[in-house]
Amino acid sequence: MSDQPPETALRLPVPGAIETRSEPPAAPLVEEVVSLFDQLRDRLLRYVTSFGLRVHDGEDIVQEVFLALFRHLQLGRSRKNLRAWAFRVAHNQALKRRSQGRVREQLTEDDGVTLADLVPDTSPNPEDQAAGSQRRQRVLAAVTALPEQDRRCLILRAEGLRYREIAEVLDISLGAVSLSLERSLTRLARAAER
Amino acid sequence: MWFQDTHPSDRELILAADGELPARRVERLRKHLTGCWGCRVRAQELEGAVSEFVHLHRRTLDPHLPPAGASRALLKAELDQLASSQSPAWRPPHVWQLWLAGAAVSAFILVLAGVLVPHRSAPRRQATLYASFVPISFPATELTPGVARAKTRSQVCGVNEEKNREVPAALKRRVFELYGMPGADPKAYEVDYLITPALGGADDIANLWPQSYSATMWNARVKDALEDRLHDLVCRGDVELVTAQQEIAADWISAYKKYFHTERPIN
Repeated sequence: MSDQPPETALRLPVPGAIETRSEPPAAPLVEEVVSLFDQLRDRLLRYVTSFGLRVHDGEDIVQEVFLALFRHLQLGRSRKNLRAWAFRVAHNQALKRRSQGRVREQLTEDDGVTLADLVPDTSPNPEDQAAGSQRRQRVLAAVTALPEQDRRCLILRAEGLRYREIAEVLDISLGAVSLSLERSLTRLARAAER
Repeated sequence: MWFQDTHPSDRELILAADGELPARRVERLRKHLTGCWGCRVRAQELEGAVSEFVHLHRRTLDPHLPPAGASRALLKAELDQLASSQSPAWRPPHVWQLWLAGAAVSAFILVLAGVLVPHRSAPRRQATLYASFVPISFPATELTPGVARAKTRSQVCGVNEEKNREVPAALKRRVFELYGMPGADPKAYEVDYLITPALGGADDIANLWPQSYSATMWNARVKDALEDRLHDLVCRGDVELVTAQQEIAADWISAYKKYFHTERPIN
């Protein structure tokens, strides 16, 4: 007779209930949104943490973006350029959180990082390392000194957005995007070559 | 048109590199660059600035990005909830639907008049379904059937083997909600993978359940020991990965007894 207490037999799963699958079955819209999450999650998370938010808060924002996207699509609203749409929602949410004071500087220790954090040096020898490090520090200083909108343009472009998408996210004109990128890259090139 | 003494501006060089310049202007610029070393060098300097910035941006942030699995699982669970709780788009009603609606209105009036005693409506969501289910040693199969992603031994053994990961707090809360235990003491339970990632289990809410640390001798710590044993056996080639996944998902206590050759947990 088994000495197993009775409560252990509270509920036995049905044998063979295990699901071995690469993607769980879901409604097509859910699948579509999860697929967009797979494509955009890292890019959005990098973008929102660049506002000085903690990674944890950044993850919350990314969740909110895709829940909002689901509702947006469920209501049959425009499917035009969903990438820019997602970045715009993320941008607005990040601004909102930052205005609420949820930035890393006001917290003790955490998972957050900014461009101002040290960049790991992977140069092959000490001389190259020193030269590379100095160049990176100059570029970093130049990036830090950029006006916020110029920095946003640069980061959005680095995340693969086209000019018209950047214009949509930041609610500025195409010409302003072009001018901003020119201004920033000219400064960065000067800092790198100095 | 750019001639030898009329060089393109930085802006035009950047627009061209970004694919934002009209095609005919790109062609003229290409011809100019062919003959102008100065502009070619300038274009490279600007490309160098792009390269510096991208490396700075990525190298700084990428190492700090947590794996997407857990937040993906949480999103999936939230979306499934949204999808199941909202009605589909409106369609014109059929005649029988109108009849049913009329009947429903009549029933409602009768209820208001006290003629009928209203019954609890059928549970719509799983969280309601399992409101009274307290998992002691096994999960609710309908909520946590177990989900495996890895299918081969090489995926769970060796240098790139899957490690057990901490379940994010938000996902833990969601699991407690689904089990109808929103007020449960999180310290009393391990929100555990039914099929542990070390055995190829997936970051999926259907693979997570709240397992008590102490309510029974068959508790979370005992299951952890089984997970370690099965991982060793799978990586030694003594047990097939799929077999281990199926056994731990179907009845992990029987699997423990089988692989530890005991009827009681070993302390």
